[in-house]
Amino acid sequence: MAYAYLFKYIIIGDTGVGKSCLLLQFTDKRFQPVHDLTIGVEFGARMITIDGKQIKLQIWDTAGQEAFRSITRSYYRGAAGALLVYDITRRETFNHLTTWLEDARQHSNSNMVIMLIGNKSDLESRREVKKEEGEAFAREHGLVFMETSAKTAANVEEAFINTAKEIYEKIQEGVFDINNEANGIKIGPQHSTGAGAGGAGGAGAGGASSGGCC
Amino acid sequence: MSLQKSVKSSGDRSEQADTTSICSSVTTQPDRHGFFGGAQYSPEPKRTVSPSTILKREQKWLRMLDNWEAFMSKNYKKVRERCRKGIPASVRPKAWLYLCGGQLLLEKHPNEYEELLQAPGDPKCMEDIRKDLHRQFPYHEMFIREEGLGQQELFSVLKAYSVLNPKVGYFQAQAPVAAFLLMHMPAVQAFWCLVSISDKYLSGYYNPGLEVLQRDGDILHALLRRTAPAVHRHLVKHKVEPVLYATEWFLCALTRTLPWDSLLRVWDCFLCEGVKVLFKAALVVLAGALGPAKVRKRACGLCETLEVLRHPPENILGEEYLVYHMQRLSLTEEDFEFEHQRQTARRRAMANRSGS
Repeated sequence: MAYAYLFKYIIIGDTGVGKSCLLLQFTDKRFQPVHDLTIGVEFGARMITIDGKQIKLQIWDTAGQEAFRSITRSYYRGAAGALLVYDITRRETFNHLTTWLEDARQHSNSNMVIMLIGNKSDLESRREVKKEEGEAFAREHGLVFMETSAKTAANVEEAFINTAKEIYEKIQEGVFDINNEANGIKIGPQHSTGAGAGGAGGAGAGGASSGGCC
Repeated sequence: MSLQKSVKSSGDRSEQADTTSICSSVTTQPDRHGFFGGAQYSPEPKRTVSPSTILKREQKWLRMLDNWEAFMSKNYKKVRERCRKGIPASVRPKAWLYLCGGQLLLEKHPNEYEELLQAPGDPKCMEDIRKDLHRQFPYHEMFIREEGLGQQELFSVLKAYSVLNPKVGYFQAQAPVAAFLLMHMPAVQAFWCLVSISDKYLSGYYNPGLEVLQRDGDILHALLRRTAPAVHRHLVKHKVEPVLYATEWFLCALTRTLPWDSLLRVWDCFLCEGVKVLFKAALVVLAGALGPAKVRKRACGLCETLEVLRHPPENILGEEYLVYHMQRLSLTEEDFEFEHQRQTARRRAMANRSGS
């Protein structure tokens, strides 16, 4: 299907916080408690509509273990949005946010929109991190914040779509140079701005949208 | 049946080991490898070599395993040839244990596995391992049950390794390798095979920084340039770096990549000939998947290309195709050695530059 823009996202955060489950909930609308561990990187994609425009989200889901950090860095390149995820039932995943954020800021372009996500909000009885703490962290570091549950799907759509809205606004404001693919944004084949047509390159992605990464 | 017994007898040093071998010998439901579903599930019956050929091969292998030292030192080429033909399923666990040197380690350190398990272990490692137990081949009958015997043994094997080698501790990519080994042999044997594979075959892969993995990615690309220049050009053009698609191939020694029958055949060669078998398999998959010009034309971007590599056509992943083409690659030992030296030097120079 044709799209006006393609945004590249990256999902980061400690191992076991639910990154792959969030992605699956968003792309396939299902929760799969049983799945293989992510080694390296996985991909997902989905079409959304903002302001009447079709936008394709291409989402890179990364391995969370510390040991992978050196290669995760190469996945940041050209990401327009990042979901930084922690697990509200495990305090240490919240404590590591600063390191993740430093990494993200250092290896991505400065305009990348970062959404902070406290996942597993369905496990209220096991909560170790208060919602207010997440909000405070987000405020302090200029991030958007949301608590989600990949299991019940609560706020999952919103997390991905609100990030896209922020990116879209930045495009409207002229903050993002959409002709530079390093910003994680590609203009789709249906877009008619003359300048972007040459650099679109995504024409071949026309067909498959479900399950595929492009 | 008698063959199965001979496989087990080498492992029944402890009760624990014995229970595992019983557990792993019932792995035929519902598919013949024990998978209830998931990507590995393969319901079609295997097109097999004739029973008489299998019988002959089994006898050859049993003779060879009885005179292992002599064969390995005087007639390695014969061993290699037989590995390339495929090790009969009934002798495979024992053959793997001998091929990778796990048996030697086990004989040298008869009680060490149990001793390592007595140690408390690094709490962070223990927690990381526990979190991953249900995420390894979750559709395999051995690992499907939360806290079932399979998951318990997986914990033990990974814990023992983390205590033995605290520098690595626990690296997530080891878990599928350990689980794969546990499907074939008792825990104590799986442990020593894991030690040999982590420290010898994939030496450095699990070290912090993943430098060796990245270097091997560069080697893979350099070799691809020789074996399939058009595919290499395509990857360069679309900035498809090895770290984007080959990370899992290398770190998990293809255990999560290939269809099960092909994986077993590739591992027969891998444990005999070493890591270059993984390179060869990777080169065949790359050339097979992106070889046709029309596929490259359609995959006209980074993600489109990664998508092709994530789901290569079934026929090129078939065991016969794969093993046949791996042997037909025109690469010599010297080619591997040359690229190894070159890429090592290149990375060292890069590190020096960025350090100064």
